[in-house]
Amino acid sequence: MTRAPVAPLLFGAALVLLPWSVVRVFLDTPIERQMGTAQKIFYFHLPMAWICMAFAVVCGIAAVVELRRRSVVAGAVAVASAEMVLIAGLGMLISGPIWGHATWGRAWTWDARQVSAALLWLIFASYVLVRRYGAAGSERLAAALAIFGAAEVPVIYYAVKVWKTTHPTTDVVGSLPPSFWAALWPALCALSALSLGLVLVRVRLELLAQQLERQADS
Amino acid sequence: MSIYTIEWAPPSEPVRGMEAQPHNVDDDGYVAVEGLDRNSVEHIRALEQRAAAKTASDYAHVVWAYGILWALFAGYGVLLWRRTVWLSRSLAQLRGGAETRPGAGR
Repeated sequence: MTRAPVAPLLFGAALVLLPWSVVRVFLDTPIERQMGTAQKIFYFHLPMAWICMAFAVVCGIAAVVELRRRSVVAGAVAVASAEMVLIAGLGMLISGPIWGHATWGRAWTWDARQVSAALLWLIFASYVLVRRYGAAGSERLAAALAIFGAAEVPVIYYAVKVWKTTHPTTDVVGSLPPSFWAALWPALCALSALSLGLVLVRVRLELLAQQLERQADS
Repeated sequence: MSIYTIEWAPPSEPVRGMEAQPHNVDDDGYVAVEGLDRNSVEHIRALEQRAAAKTASDYAHVVWAYGILWALFAGYGVLLWRRTVWLSRSLAQLRGGAETRPGAGR
């Protein structure tokens, strides 16, 4: 299998965008009036949440394709996306409470958004464990977990609309002033490029492992 | 309550002992310095200390949050790189073994 040049390009973009986003966040964006400097966590916390939810949906779709077409590539995409859900989800679940501790005075409030996000992480942790340690045929069980996890994404999104929560609503993002967006875009692009690059590398790794398994069997 | 929303106004009455002293006619035009009274100065200092403490605490939170995020991605990247190296080596060894096996290539 030839090495795809897309991943190095994405890593190169992330290498340029990450320092630029840090400069924009810390030097070019004004300090938010109510929350102070702690609000700077937002610029990386939000992309983490979006990346986590996006790859949860990708994993769910890939799991459906894997189930229907017995596609090896779809299986590799599902595994790689699930691992990214774990990484980005952990980033979201750690940076969120740190920000909450600074602004709300409490790290964990059992808020509906916090709990549903933690549940999503646990579902994908189960998915990865079943894929890794499950017996033969456990891929179907794992796929069901991935679909269940993807279906939980709208619950996380609407949690702040349906229930009364401490977490800010989704409308906050839309009402951000242009100066805040100017820092959010580079951070979002940098982290998206980095995570997509890592997922592509992981897909290649999974296919390589399967190739090795086939060659060892033959 | 955010420290940025505290409304403050200097006290209307001067604090006892901090009043500007009436100057004497013999003082040859001397005018006492009229600055903020002691209470106001202490109030301002207290607010400044609270703001400084809040900023220092915010910086600590920001450093932790960013540090953990980057460590997560860096750790995952290193893990993938090591697995790629190991898998590529194993695959190369397997291919090498298959080529040197008796009867290979017939």
